[in-house]
Order: sequence, then C-alpha cells, then structure tokens
Amino acid sequence: MTSEAAAVRRRIHPALAALLAWIFPGFGHFVLGRRKTAVAYAAIVTVTFLLGLSFEGRLYTIDRSQPLTVLATFAVSGAGLLNVAARLLSDNPGGTILSPTYEYGCAYLLTAGLMNLLLMLDAWDIAAGKK
Amino acid sequence: MITALLPTDHFIVMAVYAVLVSAFFALLWREERRERLRLFGILLAALLVGGLAVAWLMYPFPK
Repeated sequence: MTSEAAAVRRRIHPALAALLAWIFPGFGHFVLGRRKTAVAYAAIVTVTFLLGLSFEGRLYTIDRSQPLTVLATFAVSGAGLLNVAARLLSDNPGGTILSPTYEYGCAYLLTAGLMNLLLMLDAWDIAAGKK
Repeated sequence: MITALLPTDHFIVMAVYAVLVSAFFALLWREERRERLRLFGILLAALLVGGLAVAWLMYPFPK
C-alpha cells in the first residue's frame, strides 16, 4: 500500500467508510484508495441488483404475517441508494410472482444487498487498519 | 425492451449468478491476481457443479 493510501485511510473513520460503502457499492473502498477493486465491486453489485429488478424479483418489505420478510428486507436494504432508487422509481417493486424468473430475481436482489453489507464490513476493517 | 433480451433459461440465469458471486468473493477474499483467478475458478466450478447436482437429485421430485 502506498503512503498516500495509508494517509487517506487514517483520515477516514471506519463508520464513515462503512456508511459510504452502504450509500453506493464500492464507494467506501474508493475513498480508501482501493480504486480498481472499488470499480469492480460497483460493477458486480450494481449488475446483480439490476438483473434482479429485470428478472421481476421482489423488493421486500416487512410483512408481519411472514416473519422471514424482516430478514429479507434487511438484506435488500443493504444495497443502499440502489434499493432506495429502485423503490422510488420502479413501477413493480413487489415483483411478478408468476414470472418464470421471479425466484431468480429475488435471489439476485437479496444477494446484491448482502454483498454490499459485506463490503461495508470490509471498508470498516480497511479504515480501522485491520486489513 | 431490455427485458425481452434477458435470458429465461434456468441454467444460464444460474450460471450468470455463479459468475457474479464467484467474482465478488474472489475479489473480497484474495489480494493477489493469481490467487483471485484461482479462487474464482474454484467457486464458479463449485456453484455450477453443485447446482447441477442438486437439480439432478431433485429430478425425481418435480412437485
């Protein structure tokens, strides 16, 4: 690691790095100086999320009659602004359950959110000097 | 219009998923390029072979 990257890392609080990582996939790594991997992370998570939407997957919301939707909502919310924008702009946030690709779409959306949650933890560790 | 171009073939959709997940974890878990490529190959093979194995095991139970 270059001294410049180490200096940037020292200036950024781990919580801020994690927050930036949540806002947009890879953004936390980008401000921490890991720009190439940040671009790759952004591409992977964004493509996964957009494919999930295109496959007519469901942007989960909490349904008290189905307790597992709490976990699913948490997972999808990990995608940060992608999730927020999709909920605001999508004309079909609940997905299309009769679509042949509905289950795949849900899996893609959940995975994109979970991947970004892992990126938040990774950005935290990098900013804290643990990685 | 774009939706019409997307694959609906189950194997292709699963394979694309496997590529994305493998690439993500190879980047996250390894630092060196060579190690990343190796892990990417292992994860991709495991996901594809595992998916086909589960599909084969489920074949007698369609419903």
